[in-house]
Amino acid sequence: MTDYVELDVRPILTGGGEPFGRIMETVASLKPGEGLRLLAPFRPVPLFGALGSKGFTHQDREIGGGDWEVLFTPTAGPAASPAEAVGDRWPTPLMHLDNRGLMPPEPMVKVLGAVEAMQAGEVMEALLDREPTFLFPQLTQRGHEWRGGFDPDGTVYRLLVRIGTGS
Amino acid sequence: MAYFAAALVSLLATEALMVAGYGYPVDGLRAPGTLVVVHLAAIGWLSLLMAGALFQFVPVLVNHPLAGAGLTLPALLFIVVGLAMLLSGFMSMGGVLETTAFLPMGGLLLCLGFAMAVTAIGLTLVRSRPLPLPAAFVAAGLAGLVAAVTLGFVFTQVLGGTTSAPALVYIAAQGVPVHAAAGLGGWLAMCAVGVSYRLFPMFLLSPDPQGNGNRVAFMLSLGAVTVAVGGGVAALLAAWSVSSVLLVAGLVAAGAAALYSRDVVNFYRGRRRRELELNMRIAALAFASLGFAVVLPIPLTALVGAERGIAASVYLVAFGWLSGLGLAKLYKIVPFMTWLECYGPILGRAPTPRVQDLVSETAARPWFIVYFASVWAATAALAFGSAAAFRIAAFGTLAATAAIVVHLVRARMLSDVAEGQRFPGGALRPSLLYSIAPGGH
Repeated sequence: MTDYVELDVRPILTGGGEPFGRIMETVASLKPGEGLRLLAPFRPVPLFGALGSKGFTHQDREIGGGDWEVLFTPTAGPAASPAEAVGDRWPTPLMHLDNRGLMPPEPMVKVLGAVEAMQAGEVMEALLDREPTFLFPQLTQRGHEWRGGFDPDGTVYRLLVRIGTGS
Repeated sequence: MAYFAAALVSLLATEALMVAGYGYPVDGLRAPGTLVVVHLAAIGWLSLLMAGALFQFVPVLVNHPLAGAGLTLPALLFIVVGLAMLLSGFMSMGGVLETTAFLPMGGLLLCLGFAMAVTAIGLTLVRSRPLPLPAAFVAAGLAGLVAAVTLGFVFTQVLGGTTSAPALVYIAAQGVPVHAAAGLGGWLAMCAVGVSYRLFPMFLLSPDPQGNGNRVAFMLSLGAVTVAVGGGVAALLAAWSVSSVLLVAGLVAAGAAALYSRDVVNFYRGRRRRELELNMRIAALAFASLGFAVVLPIPLTALVGAERGIAASVYLVAFGWLSGLGLAKLYKIVPFMTWLECYGPILGRAPTPRVQDLVSETAARPWFIVYFASVWAATAALAFGSAAAFRIAAFGTLAATAAIVVHLVRARMLSDVAEGQRFPGGALRPSLLYSIAPGGH
């Protein structure tokens, strides 16, 4: 039986905040085997894909008043390596980049340059002005994993990249 | 890239026809020649450009991959073939060709092609709700496109003789202004505004607009389109005056344009990047054109009559604002997509050229200036009703466009990149028309 950590983002949204960063933080802090019970004022479709890529399946149901409850349950995928099976916790970032205020595509160039200098399993943190849409396919192509989201104040996008073994 | 290539070929063809004196102002506003020129510009150039750009940028607007990406190429084929048949149909109205079968067939193919494009973009938007404001503009633009295409389909069936239902015949006779308002104002203008609300802060490194101004701009422009299309269709069905409905819509749209202009000025003022790239400097000229086009109709109508006033203003919106903005943005998009495609896989692993190394701004700048100067001259020629001056100005526009196209092809083929750095190990060679980037047809 999976234990679920509950996160209610309705107050954040009512207060005009951006819950994505908070959701990602909560997901990152989950213990192995733990799931997330999310309460939201709408059906959070974009999260299904975002958490799906991190190995969560979802079950959603409307709980009245237009609100939704979604259970994100971790799957023990056959592809999970022993290191990943120990937990979905990522090591503390070794590399920090502040790419705010740079002209696109400079932030992407800097992230990809830094990524090349790192070892498999290491994590980099980068601060960006916006979601790096064009960077994600490049990271995936090189076999790296990423997580990201806006901080609660909605002005800083915090990207974490974990270096993959092969690319 | 195939969308952009087809669009640019259509633009060059449109301008060549204008130089040749085909269509307005040599012919009347509703002459077959004018219909050919207008649809070549509106469908061939602006709509293909917009559709191609939306396939690239709607995923950026909503952070969601394009749904139905497999539809983009068939949509292009249907639209191009449908447009060719539509234009042939107009020519047959002018007695150049003998048969009338082209119009209804062309209308049908265009309908199918645009339906595919709307499906791909619409599905992407539907899956990404709630929509951020720029994407809401695009959604409204799609509704405008559906209205314009549906009315156009009715016109082709009536003119081609496949239907003679009295209600449809009446719509075909009176509905042209509604069709034009839905296409130009609903589809093209709404999408251009929506995309620029997202791209400009990105390119200028300026903060997103504060306050509710942009939301009010959205509500006003949505209102204008709803009045023009919904009210226009209602007026057609109830046989009210279509022009008074459109006048109301026009006034509301002018309010929306004013708020939008304020946001654009704030983007430029609030930018953290002091040195502007050529595409943003040129875009400023396009916005100036929009400003003139909003202000001009009233004095021009008073001075030279409604027909010339409206013709000059519509020309300025289509060629000054939308086309000028389109060419300026292509000068940003084509190098960027090409750079990402060719050098993306080796970024950080080998020295690569920068995006700005793909273009030569000093060589391209004069041609953009010639473009806007000649568009403004052509607008004046339309206002004063001088066909000869219009053709001379149109030649300037044609020459400038051709030169800009050459610069775009050079960027795509990496011709301006120093030879030694052009293909570091592992870089991909670009193909002129086909792009491997997602949605990059």
